[in-house]
Amino acid sequence: MAKIMAQLKELAFARSGDKGDLSNIGLMAKNRECYEVIRKEVTPERVKSHFKGIAKGDVKIYEMSNIDSLEVLLYQALGGGATRTLRLDQTGKSMGQALLRMEIEVDENILKKAKAAEEAIYQKYRSAR
Amino acid sequence: MKKIRVGSGSAFWGDMLDPAVEMAKDGNVNYIGFDHLAELTLALLTRMKMKDPNKGYIQDIIPWMKALLPIAYPKGIKIITNAGGANPEKACDEVVKIAKDFEMGGMKIGMVTGDDILPQLEEIRAKGWKFKNLDTGEEDIDRIKDRIVAANAYIGADQIIETLQAKADVVITGRVSDNALYVGPIMHEFGWKFEDPYWNRIGAAVTVGHIIECAACVTGGMSNMWKVSKDPWRIGFPIAEVYENGDAIITKTPNSGGIVNQWTVKEHLVYEVHDPGNYLMPDGIADFTKLNLKEIGTNEVKVTEMKGKPRPENLKVCIGYRDGFIGEGHIFFPWPDALAKAQWAEKWVRERFKLLGAKYEELRIDFIGVNVLHGEVAPLPDYDLNEVGLRIVAKTQTREEADVVRRAATHLWTAGPIGASFGVPFEPRPVVSLWPTLVPRDEVKTKYLVKEVK
Repeated sequence: MAKIMAQLKELAFARSGDKGDLSNIGLMAKNRECYEVIRKEVTPERVKSHFKGIAKGDVKIYEMSNIDSLEVLLYQALGGGATRTLRLDQTGKSMGQALLRMEIEVDENILKKAKAAEEAIYQKYRSAR
Repeated sequence: MKKIRVGSGSAFWGDMLDPAVEMAKDGNVNYIGFDHLAELTLALLTRMKMKDPNKGYIQDIIPWMKALLPIAYPKGIKIITNAGGANPEKACDEVVKIAKDFEMGGMKIGMVTGDDILPQLEEIRAKGWKFKNLDTGEEDIDRIKDRIVAANAYIGADQIIETLQAKADVVITGRVSDNALYVGPIMHEFGWKFEDPYWNRIGAAVTVGHIIECAACVTGGMSNMWKVSKDPWRIGFPIAEVYENGDAIITKTPNSGGIVNQWTVKEHLVYEVHDPGNYLMPDGIADFTKLNLKEIGTNEVKVTEMKGKPRPENLKVCIGYRDGFIGEGHIFFPWPDALAKAQWAEKWVRERFKLLGAKYEELRIDFIGVNVLHGEVAPLPDYDLNEVGLRIVAKTQTREEADVVRRAATHLWTAGPIGASFGVPFEPRPVVSLWPTLVPRDEVKTKYLVKEVK
């Protein structure tokens, strides 16, 4: 199967917040296959280089295979923390969305299934309203 | 199996009141927890109390209790709130007055104190303890000790449990962990103790507390589910139905707006937890990496297999200290060449600051509409934008230095490129920086008191 470059946005949802100067980004894969891809592709080195100029300290990643999710930690990334930062987004709520811009390599087929998975998720809950 | 229903009624100072009222009316809950304290709030409240000893609590507690007590008290719903802030004593007196006005004789209002360790800092250091900064690694507080405005320990549920055992209908605390507002009633109801073999179940209570403690953030707010949330303008707040074996069902007030599903719960399990295998709270260490989620109905997610470990020896402390000022100014540029105008203005500001000898520790310039949120990660647009804002912001030591930055934006109104539109005036704002650290649990002398309404 052909490999292509895709943005993380195609494979995962994100939600981010802060702990002091630490940016805490949760990445939730859209299905198990996507989880296996992001687990391999989203490495501390790549995340650090994606956030060049922003993530001033280490990057650490924890796996949560029970919920197909990754916890991505960016140290010294929020301008010193919410109360003294010069960032407009003091608590790093937009950082997760910024991570979704990162490009990774993925099988075309997995990408196609990820799109279908996302549509199915929205369809399911839209009709349950 | 015995179960209780615990709801979350507030996630921050200024949160919505109507979903909490709706929960008291229709949520069939036993307890509602209210969090009003962010990390910085205690520093603000401590300063208010220093100016006026009758202040320093979250004054929203007055309208909140006026709206909630007439619904909650007759139904036996108990309220646990950290709105006591830096002054739980005064907040307690105010709530007693409200209950008296409602002629709720016999009602019991409890309070928990002891989280404020500002008076003991030197005494604890004299015993050899160092308040090492957990963010920066700096060894102790010598450099900032003359500028400290508040020091509060994140205390656990111990005294909330005592207060509930003394039959309190309302429990008012200062800085407890947000989590303890929920761990307290769960442990009280099931009789769990801080010892073996309860740690897994306490871990479950910590996990459940974490899932619901940010109110709207697990019912469709701050969510990837925003497109499919039902009537989001009347979003319901979350309720956890907790079972004696430690399992729980996460739901929300029946017939309310919003959405609860596996994704909204996942969003909260990954939210601000640091190491998900070791989520450190004063009441226990929860492990989020073993649990199991299952949607069992519309807006119902069952959480099982939650695990925990014994609570940590030390408590987290937030020390707030005065740390200069921030000056900020915004100005906006219209099409055509909006971005080029903003870039021109950035150079104008930087050159002008050199000319004036402006003093600052740090300067940041953003283009609103281009990179104010995503910074270096955001690509520059390749088309002519409708408008771009320039945001100039600097950290300074004095108010006067901060004002120089603010004024620069206003000067661009008349001295800048064609079409420059001046927006919002900002005042320089004082900065309270935080020094996250630890303190031995034994050094924090917490206690409770219950007052009966006559």
